This record gives sequence, C-alpha cells and structure tokens, in this order.
Amino acid sequence: MLTGRLARGWEAVKQFVYGLTGYEFARHAVEMRHEMETVFMVVTMGDLIGIPVLPPLYSLRLLPYVVPEIATWKRHLARRKEFWEKPDYDLHGV
Amino acid sequence: MNSLLAVIIGVVTVYLAYTLYARRIDRNVIQSDPKRATPATLYMDGVDFMPTNRNILFGYHFKSIAAAGPIVGAIVAASLWGWLPSIIWLVLGVTFIGWASDYSAIVLSVRNEGNSLSAVAHRLVSPRTRRVLLLFIFFYLLLVTGAFVSIMAQVMDGQPRTHLGIVVLIAMGLLLGQMLYRWKVGLVGATVLTVGVTLVCILAGPWTEEFSKGFNAALNGMTGGAPIVTYFDPTLAGFKGAEAKIMPSLLFWALAISAFCYAGSVLPIWRMAQPVVYVGFWITALSMVLGLGGAALASFVKPEVAQFQIPAFRGWSPQLGPAGVMPLWPMLFVTIACGAISGWHALFGAVGTARQIENEADMLPVGGGSMLAEFLLGLLALLAVSVGAKGAPVGAFATGLGGFISVWGVPLQYAVSLAFAAFIVIVLVVTQLIFRVMRVTLTEWLGDVFPPCRNQHVASFLSVLLALLLVVTGTWVYLWQLFGGANQLMAALALLLVTVWLASAGKNWAFAGVPMIFMYVTTVASLLVTAYNLYFNVYQPNLAAGRTLPIIGSGLMVLISLLLVVAAAFIGIDGWRAFMRNLRRPAPAHKPAPARG
Repeated sequence: MLTGRLARGWEAVKQFVYGLTGYEFARHAVEMRHEMETVFMVVTMGDLIGIPVLPPLYSLRLLPYVVPEIATWKRHLARRKEFWEKPDYDLHGV
Repeated sequence: MNSLLAVIIGVVTVYLAYTLYARRIDRNVIQSDPKRATPATLYMDGVDFMPTNRNILFGYHFKSIAAAGPIVGAIVAASLWGWLPSIIWLVLGVTFIGWASDYSAIVLSVRNEGNSLSAVAHRLVSPRTRRVLLLFIFFYLLLVTGAFVSIMAQVMDGQPRTHLGIVVLIAMGLLLGQMLYRWKVGLVGATVLTVGVTLVCILAGPWTEEFSKGFNAALNGMTGGAPIVTYFDPTLAGFKGAEAKIMPSLLFWALAISAFCYAGSVLPIWRMAQPVVYVGFWITALSMVLGLGGAALASFVKPEVAQFQIPAFRGWSPQLGPAGVMPLWPMLFVTIACGAISGWHALFGAVGTARQIENEADMLPVGGGSMLAEFLLGLLALLAVSVGAKGAPVGAFATGLGGFISVWGVPLQYAVSLAFAAFIVIVLVVTQLIFRVMRVTLTEWLGDVFPPCRNQHVASFLSVLLALLLVVTGTWVYLWQLFGGANQLMAALALLLVTVWLASAGKNWAFAGVPMIFMYVTTVASLLVTAYNLYFNVYQPNLAAGRTLPIIGSGLMVLISLLLVVAAAFIGIDGWRAFMRNLRRPAPAHKPAPARG
C-alpha cells in the first residue's frame, strides 16, 4: 500500500521534472517532424485539400502508407489562414 | 518576523486556497467532468492539440509562467511600501484572484474548443475587442522589454562579476541547441556539460571582476568619462530624485542585451531562444530551490541571514521624486503582478496549455496549482529582499538570496554571485522570448496596413528600437508599474471573458466577476497615477533642462499609459454590454457531454 503510493509519488515527480525540462524539446522535435511530413503530404496528397500536385495514380499507390497521418494533417492545415504559413513555435494564436 | 514564519505562511496559504476554495469552485461552479471530451482529445493533431499527462503539463505550465515577474515586482514593492503590505497582497491576491484567473482562462479555452482569448473575445464580446487586445498586448510587451533591458543593463554595468557567467550562458545555449538538434546528443549528457560549465563560470565571476571593471573603465574612457545622456531619475537618492547619467559602459550593455534579444527573436527557436532558456532555467531553478530550502532552514542553522532587515511598513504613500505620488492603492496591486495575479498566465494558458489538457479534472491542478506554486516564487523574492536590505533593490535581493544559499555551506561571496546571475539569467531569457512574441504581435497588428512589418527583421528591429528609447528615460520603476498595470488589466480582461461566458452558460459568475471589477478599477487607476507621475516627475524636469531623448522617452510613456486607459475603456464598455446581453438570455438547456474517444 505505502510502497505503491511512494512509487506513484516518485513517478509523478519524474513526470513533473520532465515537464519542466525535456518536454519542451520533445514538443519542438515533434513539430519539426510534423512540418517535414506536411511538405511530403502536400506534395503527394495535395489534391485532398484542393492542390493538384501529383497524378492521382501515384497518390493512390502512396495512400496506404500515409493513411494514419491524413486526419491529423488535414486538421492541422485546416486551422491555418494559408496552407504555406507556418505559425511561430508555441505562439499559436497568442 | 523571520524567513521560516514566512515560508510557513506561504505553504498554509497554498494548502487552504487549493482545498477550501479552488476545489469548491471546480466542483460546484465549473463542474469539471472527467468524462467530457477535451479539445486535445477531440482535435488531436499530434502538435498543438495533444493530450498530455497532468504531471508533465503541470511542470510545463509552471515553467512557462514562472519568470522574472514575481521576482522584480516583490523587490520593488518591498522597497516602496515595506514587506507587510507586500506579503498581505501576495497571500490575498493569489487566494482570491490569481489562481481563479489562471484556472478559468484554461477552462474557458477548453470549453470553447481550444480557442485563444482573443478568438473567444471576438465571439463573445465584440470584433473590436480583439483589435484592442492586440494593441494592448503590443504595448504591454514594449513596456516590459523596456523595463527589463533597463534593469539588466544597470545590473551588468554595476556588477562586473556577472559578465563572464552571462556570456558563457549564451555560448552554452548555442552549443546545446547544436548538440541536441544537429549532433543528436542525449539530453542528459548535453545538460550536464552546458549547465555545469555555465555554473562554474558564474561561480568564478568574482575572480574576473577586476578584468570586467577594466573593460567598463575602457569603455567610459572613450568619452573621457563624460556621460552620453543625462536625465532626471526620481528613484535615486533614496527616492528623492537626482541627476543620472548614461555612461558608455551602460549603453554598451543595453546594446549588447538588445543585440542578443534581436538574435533570439529572428533565429530559429531551436538555435538560440529555446536552449538558452533551458540552460538559464537550471541556473535559476538551482538558486531558487537552494534559496527556498535555505529560507526554511536559516532560522536553525544561520539565524543572522533569516531576520527581516527592512521596515514592515513604510507608509501609505511613500515619496518618489519631488512631485511623485505612490499611493498603496492602486500602485501596490500592479507593482506585484505575477506572484499574485498575471494576465500573461491567462494568455498563455488559453493556448499553450488548454490544448493539451487530457481530462477536465486536470484543469485545476495544472492551472490553479501552477499559479499557487508561482506565488511561492514571489514569496521567496520578497523574503530575499526583506532580509538582504543592502543597497539598491536588486542588490538587496541578491544579498538576501545569497544569504539563504550560503546556509547550504556555499561561501557567501560565491552564493551572492550565483544570486546575481540567477536574477539576470531569468530576466534575460524571458526578455528574448518577449521580443519574439512582440515581433509576432506587431506583424499581426500592423502587417496588413504596413507590409514591411511582415518582415521579421523589420518587426524585430522596430521592437528593439522602441524598447531602447524607453531605456534612456532611466525610470525603470515607472516602466515596471506601467507594465504591471497593462498586465493586470489583461488579467482583468481574461476574467471579464470568463464572467461573460459563465453568465451565458447560466452559471454563478461571482468568483470571476468580483475580482475582475476590483482588478479593472485598480489597474485603470494605477495607469492614471503613473501617467501623472511620469508627467510631473520625469517629463517636466527633463523638459526644463532641455534633454531631447529623455523628453521623447518619457513623453512616449505618458502617451502609452493614456492609450492603455482608452483601450481599457473600450474593452470595459464592450464587456459590460456583452455581460448584460448574456445575463438576460435564458440559460441553455443541458446537453449530454460527448463521449471521450
């Protein structure tokens, strides 16, 4: 009982320290990767948001590989005023 | 009074405010529902909207809101009115207003699809409010950068022992960015190297003091010891006012800090701003943890550093300059901002944190809990300046904090060096980030009517130039109070939005509405008092002496303060109309919450 509570407390402290320190880098790394993937998605699947870039044949061949990304990619781009605009890190909408 | 008693007061305040008041509001008024889907789960995009564990988010949010504000405000307030009114405002402010503002801004965003405050203001109040808000944000950022650059330049000019540590901090920040993002070195190893080297150089500061003094003297020798600008500073000579001089060395440090902030604003964030903030965070966190622990233990281990040295109460309206008035109400309530309540927290919480809330039950521990933790930071700054008492306010803070750190066996000379460096580091890293936000705000605000502002270099250069213009007035206390007024008014605006939203949802709005009225009236009054002080205490003496730059700088500050009052009036009128409109509307029928995915 006590051991379990101590373990949970220690885990919470570790998570708090991670939030204070490494989490920001992890978020930024995710954002950088996401931007890279966005470029790939626009080039291959741009027709899904009205940008005809590749013949649909190639898009269809790539489709199975990018299916997991499509929903989040469309949501992310849908919030931008222009699809080529990149919001400044951590100032999204301030 | 000693530091142990103050620490006990702080801990008891946090416990009572959280358990007796905050939890009750969360349960009975907001009715946070762990089963209701949050924007992070509904709109998860892997970047902005990302469900995150509450402990991680607590650390992230606390780090994002805890900056120089609680430290500088407590230092100035204790010097002007004494420690007793300062501690009373810190305790009452955070208990009844501060946590409510931070928490409810997050609630507002979570219950409004993760929208920012300006977007909610556009929808709930009026489209004009969003434009006024942008103007407001820009000037409030300008004021805080002016105050911070001024404070830092004065400390670096007067404390040559800090030079080596600060220069190495920037170099280590650049190295850390390169190591993490380019060389793919692990975070732990990179942290040990960069923070370790920075810490050693900060502690070695006293050894390089003579060299740095010589550097300052060489700079001053370029004009034969003559000042570049002379101005009237009402904060000198024990707040009676005296002639002050901007020497070449002071201007050099102001320009060096501005150049650093400019680079932080235009370079990719991973290259400079983020890693420098990270290294600075460790230096500050180390000083604060050692300081807070030392404050609690000092009464038993080293009682001479635990006793308060400054008067408990200096008067209802201490004299500041020949014509200045500094009434406790409203000025104390804007001088101590972030440790009691802050608009920045609400602004950031609504976009940075609310979009990562995984579960509605996390809103209180993350939003309210972080604010209560920041209160402890403000309390530590107040304790440090109260036991320090030597020299100017910042010097007293460093002496006091150094005394607390020395409880752990660190020689006092090195402990004071660490305390000075911690102060500059936290102000420096925050200032570069503020310039970045300022650049973005300027682009958003003026980009359409003045297209060159869309260029990041133009926007950054304009921001730095305006801040430097304010620096040459030399009156950083007024700059700080103007910033405090604008910041607290932002908090009042956040509370206004929450009040309107609560009224529109048919909920009890008193927990946000009553503090909002208090903060609104107080901050508008403080802006008017500061405008009066600036005009009669700074503008007039400089005008009489025919000093061009200080006249422009202080005139600009008077204009900004009046502009903020006008903006506040617009927001107040629009807010009142929106509140009445929503109050008369029947409460919406309860809808079942969507299930979490």
